[in-house]
Amino acid sequence: MSWLLGAFSDRRTYGSLVYSLLGLPIGIFGFTVVVTSFALGLGLVITLLGIPVLVATLILVRAMATMERRLAWSLLDASMPRRPPMRPSSYGSFWQHLLDLFSARQTWREIGFILLRLPLGIVGFTIAIALIGLMFGGFAMPILVAVGVESQIGSWIIDTIPESFFYLPISFLFLLVGPRILLGWGQVSGRTATSFLGVVDNREMKRAVTETLVRTGEADAFSILSEMELRLGRVPSVNSTRAEATLLALESTGQVQAHREGSTTMYRLRDDKPLGQK
Amino acid sequence: MDEFSKMAAREREANRIARRQWFWLHFAVYLTTQVFLVITWALGDSTFPWYVYPLFGWGIFIAAHAVYAFVVKTPEEIMIERESRTSEGRG
Repeated sequence: MSWLLGAFSDRRTYGSLVYSLLGLPIGIFGFTVVVTSFALGLGLVITLLGIPVLVATLILVRAMATMERRLAWSLLDASMPRRPPMRPSSYGSFWQHLLDLFSARQTWREIGFILLRLPLGIVGFTIAIALIGLMFGGFAMPILVAVGVESQIGSWIIDTIPESFFYLPISFLFLLVGPRILLGWGQVSGRTATSFLGVVDNREMKRAVTETLVRTGEADAFSILSEMELRLGRVPSVNSTRAEATLLALESTGQVQAHREGSTTMYRLRDDKPLGQK
Repeated sequence: MDEFSKMAAREREANRIARRQWFWLHFAVYLTTQVFLVITWALGDSTFPWYVYPLFGWGIFIAAHAVYAFVVKTPEEIMIERESRTSEGRG
């Protein structure tokens, strides 16, 4: 019972309600903008006018993804990286920059999420509205009938006060389970948002390891992982397997060297003088 | 294999077990629903086997989930496994 009632006092239940209600307009807007702009941009590429349209679309997608990250984090407590995803470097030619922008996995994940937001938004909005109706309809019906408004369920017309109480137990039931359903949907939405928008890419992992080793000089993998979590945030994509793989990758390219001290492996940057030290 | 690698391997194994458990839960829900639909079809007067639509439609997702739970590995997992095989070979 406390499992059911606990959802009432959970801030995320109300966050999930707001997130679900906002999902439909945001989903429609995002889907329309992405599909229309891509169709227009790709169609016009042959005249070169399509390139600025596509670039503007990507910039808009990033802005929308940033807003989505904040929404999911603040309303659903979804895990999101502490700092925004690394953008392609501003060095190199304009075309290189453009190519980086199009080839970045993060860009396509953001586009995927914005497209997915429409079907998810429809489901979320339907759940929220149906639950509100079921939770409060039974209480509103006697009042409506008393002021002369008839209700109808199928072919049954409810126009007397005793009839109007029929719906009350159903509303009581949904008043109990409704918040829990909303909370559950919020968790599903939050995890979806994290899996698309909360991914820390390999370059950021490598940068976090390098920064940690610059600061500490030498560290074992446990300290490196906790430093990564501190810098990048506690997100599912920052985990022990990825930390181990990042260290292996840096070791194989010669940027990091490792040596065993008993049962632990210590890592340090290959340079004698770590970066940032004079 | 150092302490951290052992912990990472344990975490990978725990994730693998969780992924498989979620698959079996999904499969149980799928199976129960399909049995219910087939019974509904058998008791009704419809001759057209309409239950095949959810059976195959949802079946695609069940197949995809099975691949994810039992076959798919992340690039990091593949890399670590290769590396440990190489170091075992060296040892």
